[in-house]
Amino acid sequence: MTAPQQDGSLIELVDIRKVYQMGVSEVNALDGVSLRIERGEYVAVMGPSGSGKSTLMNIVGCLDTPTSGSYKLRGTEIRDRDDDELARIRNQEVGFIFQTFNLLSRADALHNVELPMIYAGRPKRDRRERAREMLDLVGLGDRTHHRPNELSGGQRQRVAIARALVNEPSIVLADEPTGNLDSKTGLEIMALLDEVHRGGNTVILVTHEEEIAANAERVVRLRDGKIESDQATARHASAAPRGTASPLPPAS
Amino acid sequence: MTPLPRPRREFWAAQGENLRIALDALRANKLRSVLTVIGNVVAVMSVIAVVAVIDGMNTYVSEKVLEQGLKVIYIDKFGLITNEDAWREAMKRRDLTLLDAEALKQRARLASEVVGQLETTKRVRAGRIELQNVRVLGTTEGYEAVGKYEADQGRTLEDDEITKRRAVCLLGSELAGQLFPVLDPVGQEVRVAGYALRVVGTVSPRGNVLGQSQDNFVLVPFGQFQKIFGPHESITILMRARPGADLERAQDEARVILRARRHVPLGKPDDFAITTSETYMSLYQKLTAGILAGTIGLVAISLLVGGIVIMNIMLVAVTERTREIGIRKAVGARRADLLSQFLSETVVLSLFGGMIGVLVGVVLALLIRLVTPLPASIQPWSVAISLFVASSVGLFFGVYPATRAAKLDPIVALRHE
Repeated sequence: MTAPQQDGSLIELVDIRKVYQMGVSEVNALDGVSLRIERGEYVAVMGPSGSGKSTLMNIVGCLDTPTSGSYKLRGTEIRDRDDDELARIRNQEVGFIFQTFNLLSRADALHNVELPMIYAGRPKRDRRERAREMLDLVGLGDRTHHRPNELSGGQRQRVAIARALVNEPSIVLADEPTGNLDSKTGLEIMALLDEVHRGGNTVILVTHEEEIAANAERVVRLRDGKIESDQATARHASAAPRGTASPLPPAS
Repeated sequence: MTPLPRPRREFWAAQGENLRIALDALRANKLRSVLTVIGNVVAVMSVIAVVAVIDGMNTYVSEKVLEQGLKVIYIDKFGLITNEDAWREAMKRRDLTLLDAEALKQRARLASEVVGQLETTKRVRAGRIELQNVRVLGTTEGYEAVGKYEADQGRTLEDDEITKRRAVCLLGSELAGQLFPVLDPVGQEVRVAGYALRVVGTVSPRGNVLGQSQDNFVLVPFGQFQKIFGPHESITILMRARPGADLERAQDEARVILRARRHVPLGKPDDFAITTSETYMSLYQKLTAGILAGTIGLVAISLLVGGIVIMNIMLVAVTERTREIGIRKAVGARRADLLSQFLSETVVLSLFGGMIGVLVGVVLALLIRLVTPLPASIQPWSVAISLFVASSVGLFFGVYPATRAAKLDPIVALRHE
């Protein structure tokens, strides 16, 4: 992977608008959002349902493109990219962690983690080795050949985290990662995300729970498609120095 | 615009994944998969079985026909009649007589033997045993060479016996066995239409052609035949081309001689018919070509129907697996990846049907070989072609469902329940 752009933010959104056609009326899901996120930040995006946070996630994750405005990822404009280029960016630059895990049900943990590397075109032996390593790091070294339905919710989310990190993305996008977990398992997963962040990854967390958002260094609040507030959390000051005391590999 | 790093994609990395997905899907829906590909199974099975049977028939017929009739030219009044008009026309022709045979014998330089024969079916009796529908042949000299008759017991008819119209006969081996189950037939007496004939020998077995015994006949001198059945019958002339002589040219020579002798005007058709074993072979080959064409029609219909079924089932599969498609897109699968994934899946499915079809077709062909005299043999090219066509059908009918999968919006697909 190329070196990050020294003279710009990792993510730079300028006046992003997203308009959906709902029958005859138009809905402004995002109504002029501008946001910068630097490399290594841990940002929580909050807001009630319908505030546009999912749309923002989709755009930042390159699953969707804005109607207008500019989105630069590592200094590269994303707006005019075609489907295949977006797929490649998702593959190389973005790691998704979903509320519903979104693992392939017919594939075992190892194969699920391999998946992004398959689409990156990495050779099989290489893939295997790397996927095993990642599962070891999330504490599932002994579950490599279990299918999702043979794993607990927490274990599934660990597989998903391993999958999100396997191609060393620039951004880790976690969309309500604890939404389908009990509170104890949720805490474990949040601890793991903390580790991911300490390993040098940029983490963007979408949630509607204050408690979960408190894990981040910065909270961006959305309402009606606009940014309502953008503040550092109390935790920011006490955040551990990055790149230390972590088993997770830093992003390149 | 700064380009993002472009990774080198390994082609085979993706194909391995595609094959794996396809086989997984097949395993996950065994019954559905089998039902889906029935069209392919029927198509491939028909091709394999029909080609095997036709090929078996070809080998069989050419062996049988050629071994007995190679280089023999048959000339008679009717020839190979395939419709009523031709038959009515042929009825008007003048009979062929021994004089025609004599003319050929003297003037045809490309023929080694010329024999005149008459034939009918009649009851034959020996002692208390009487058999129906026995072929009775009357022949002139030279018949041994033309028809490849060899004595098994006793001897064949001698030229002298033929010219002097002796009341003697040769028996086919099967007939001899039936008429004389215990006694040595040589020297015994058989009765054909009330006329007593002395058996001088039996003929070595000549086998069956399509279940028809070639050993159920009585061979008598030509004159004796006319004595029993009357003189007013058109004869069949059998000629053998000289070794090394071209069969075609020998036929032309005979045609010229006969037309001249029978005063057929220029521009008029022959008033006789010349056939060779090749005539029968070509008729037979037309017949099998017809069967093959019919099979191809059936196969085309099953493949069309089968292809549509496969397409529908794949559309169902795409809908069922919308979520999976969404996940794959989210982690970086491009349109082409999903297109090739679903195309591979349809091809594997069709090929799976094709392979079942090969299996069933082979079993069917072996069964036919077991219960019929046809040496049905599996042709590797028919297996190759039908598997190729079956997978092409998968490729063709897989395009639409695969395109649907490839075009899905990842956000919508991920939200799909």
